[in-house]
Order: sequence, then structure tokens, then C-alpha cells
Amino acid sequence: MSASALTASPRTISSPRADDDVAGPSVIARSSHPAVPRWASLLGVLALWQVASVTKLLPIDLLAPPSTIATTGWRLARSGELGSALLVSSGRIALGLLFGVTAGVTLGLLSGLSRWGDALLDPPVQALRTLPHLGLVPLFILWFGIDETPKVLLIAMGVAFPLYLSIHSGVRQSDPKLLEAARVLGFTARQRVWHVSLPSALPHALVGLRQGLGMAWLSLIVAEQVNASSGLGFMINNAREFLQTDVVVVGLVVYAVLGLLTDTVVRKLERRALSWQGPL
Amino acid sequence: MNRTAPSPAPAIALRAITKSYGQAPVLAGLDLDIAAGQVVALLGRSGSGKSTLLRLLAGLDDAITGSLTVNGSVSVAFQEPRLLPWRRVWRNVVLGLDRCDDTRANALTALEQVELADLADRWPLTLSGGQAQRVSLARALARRPDVLLLDEPFGALDALTRASMHALLRRLFAEHRPTTLLVTHDVDEALAIADRVLVLRDGRVHGDHLVPAITAHDPTRRQILRTTILDDLGVTPDERD
Repeated sequence: MSASALTASPRTISSPRADDDVAGPSVIARSSHPAVPRWASLLGVLALWQVASVTKLLPIDLLAPPSTIATTGWRLARSGELGSALLVSSGRIALGLLFGVTAGVTLGLLSGLSRWGDALLDPPVQALRTLPHLGLVPLFILWFGIDETPKVLLIAMGVAFPLYLSIHSGVRQSDPKLLEAARVLGFTARQRVWHVSLPSALPHALVGLRQGLGMAWLSLIVAEQVNASSGLGFMINNAREFLQTDVVVVGLVVYAVLGLLTDTVVRKLERRALSWQGPL
Repeated sequence: MNRTAPSPAPAIALRAITKSYGQAPVLAGLDLDIAAGQVVALLGRSGSGKSTLLRLLAGLDDAITGSLTVNGSVSVAFQEPRLLPWRRVWRNVVLGLDRCDDTRANALTALEQVELADLADRWPLTLSGGQAQRVSLARALARRPDVLLLDEPFGALDALTRASMHALLRRLFAEHRPTTLLVTHDVDEALAIADRVLVLRDGRVHGDHLVPAITAHDPTRRQILRTTILDDLGVTPDERD
């Protein structure tokens, strides 16, 4: 055993271990970087999918091949069907974000900055937060019917809670040493909030916003699945009735792209707002 | 705090100050007068209450018994620079000043005194420890305080940087003449900067020594004073270097 270890990995003669004969030769291969670009495997999966569809291994009425999905996407885009659905769904998201961000920021700041706010607001908000907000769909339909209100409300709730939590804890976690310095340096209460509390909450708030955006998109998708007479969800639901799996996938891809887009916007925002964190 | 005209009353007057955390008193009936314009170093072993005393004077703690008078405006430089990392250096220097005084010009003047005017537009996180501490000093001085409180501001700096900070401080004191209380644990630092050295022990002023200007040029006197202060601190001979 120890003889084979010595011959297999001459570099470790001084400390032959039981696994040397296994690990020895492969160490060098592992450390070198693979010469394959990262998108290659993705392309491979798409190619396999296409081949599986063409050879009827994957039934087309279960999942359309990538080529069909691409042409369908192009057709829907040119006919304007995708555009108008996109507009409706984006409108819902925009309105939901407007209400949700406003509520999350306002409540988060009130409860983070003032003891009264914390005592009065935090308990009910925390209690509401434990409810899975997507489970409220049946109640929302009872209360608000099936038009836009319940959808916008669901989206607003999706973004409001993560934002509230991150701002609340962000403000509370302001460095007490900085607050103390602000006090002896003669900051007014307003200056303390503006120059100490808010900037120290900002990184937390942006993380909360990114989480909230994810929840908002999820809420939109669920709301549109449940009931919609327009928008991306309507397009997807409609296609399901006619077994148009290509249209369904196009809708999903558009959802994904939109989610990616809003995430990118927030990350750009993050980089600008938090430029003080990095070296110049 | 009582804020009246500085002279002829002492800038700082403490009578029978007692402060305790739980049972044990940190300050036990402390009496102290500091004349306007005096630069006082406050020495003491850790836990002797020197930082507590400084916090009282800064108005950061008022749960005490006794009477405390500080005449005039107070400014503090802490052990750590405590700059706002999300505000540029120059903004840090003047933030908190009155509306008409928080100008860039004022910030640059203050930064010039600590020889950092060219870093005015940097983010604080890009500064070295010594630079950040100088900005913190500039911030304290920009307030033109009658009383300047320094809480071991050079504790975290290397020996070379400390030496140049001492020189800088002596120059700034000569120019501004604020009443200064410097908390330190370093006898040599105290002798290098202050014209009076106080030793805090058992919650009281245990030693009170004037440092004549001549001490800087007279190694023998300096050595004698140093030994006396170490005795006051309760440093045994074999603990000394």
C-alpha cells in the first residue's frame, strides 16, 4: 500500500497517506481551468431538447421544441399580442410596486425611527407578515372581486413586507458610536436621521427591495393565473386550453426576462448609492 | 451644563462627582478644576474611570451625583475616528455646524490645518488610520470649541504616526488654545503634549503635576516627573521598562 503511494505521487513522499494513490495524479488536472466557455453546456441542453423533440422522444403537446418556441415568440411579438399583454402586466407591477414600496418605506421608517412607531406598528405588521400573502387570494376575490384591485394589492403586499423588515432592522442597526458622535457634534434630530440613520439603513433597504421585487413578480404570476382577462397570465392560461405549450413557454421566458430586468435596475441603483463602500 | 463666559472662572469645574455602574463606583467624589486654555492629560490604568469622566464632560452621560460645570462649547475626538462612511471627507468635517458655517471653504480651512486639504473629496473608507484620525481632529476643531476632549485618539496608530500627531497637536494647541482634556494610557504621550498631568486612581485624582515647558529639553527633570507619575499610577518598579 505505502509502496504504491510512493510511486503514484512522488511529491508527497514525506507524508504518504492512505488516499494519496487516489488523489495524487488528479490534483494537477483539477487545478487547471476548463477550456470550455460557460454557455456551452447551456447550448448543449437546448440542442438535446431540440433533438428529443424532433425524434418524438419528447411529445410536442407536452413541451414544444426550442425552435418552435423561438418562432412563436417572434410571431407573438410581431402581431402585438405579446406587447399588449406585457403592457397590462407591467402596469399591474408598476402600480403594485408604487403602493407596496410606499407602504413598506413609510411603515419601516416610522417603526424604525420612533419608539412609539415601533411599539404600535411593529406587532401588527409582524403578525400580518407571518400570513402567506398568496394564501389571501380567496379572501381578496371575495372582498375586491376579480378585476385589478386584488392583483395590485397582492403585488403590493409582496414587495411591502420584505422592504418593511429590511428598513426597520436597518434603521435599528445604525452604529450607536456614529449616533453618539452625531450628538456631540451638534447634529439636529433631522440631521441625525438624514445623515446617520437613513444612510446606514440604505444597504439593508436595497437588499429588501431586491427580495421584494422577486415576491412582487411571483405575486403577479399567481394573481394572473387565478383570474385574468388580459396580460401575460391570461395569454398563458389561454394557451394551456389549446395545448399551445410554445406560447406557455414564451410567457414564462418573458416573466423571467422582466424579473431579471428589475433586478438589474436595483443592482445598478445599489452600485450608485453605495459607491462609498468600494475603493475610489 | 452651565454655559457662561469662560474667564475668570475655570473652564471645567467638578465637585464631588460620583458615578457608579451597579455597585462599584467608577468615580468616587472626584474634585477637579481646569483653567481655560490648559492642556491636561488624564492618565490612569484601564478601568480607572478616565473614559467615563470624558463622557460626562461631553454630555453623553448625566446619571451622576455631584456638580459639573463646563464653560463654553465642547467638541470631542474619539478613540476611533467615527466618520460617516457615506459622506465625503469635507462633509464630515462640517456636518452638524450651523447652516452658515457648514461650507466647503470652512471644511478646507480645517483640513489644511491637519494637512489633508487634498483629500477633501475622498470617501472616509479610503483613508489610512492616521488620516482618518486627523480628519476627526479637523472635525472637532472646525467647531472652534472652548473645550476639546480627546479620548485616546492615537491609541490605534503606529509609533511614527503617533509622533507626528503629537507634533501636529502641539502646533494646533498653540494656535487655537482650547482647554483640552486628553485621555491616554501613555505617560510619554502625556508628557509630550500636556502642560498638566492628572493621574486618576480609585475614582479620584490621585496625582496632579504641572509639566513645565523646560521639561521637554531637560531629560533629568523629565525622568523624575515620569517616575513620579508611574508611582502615582501604582506601577511597580519591575513593571517598568
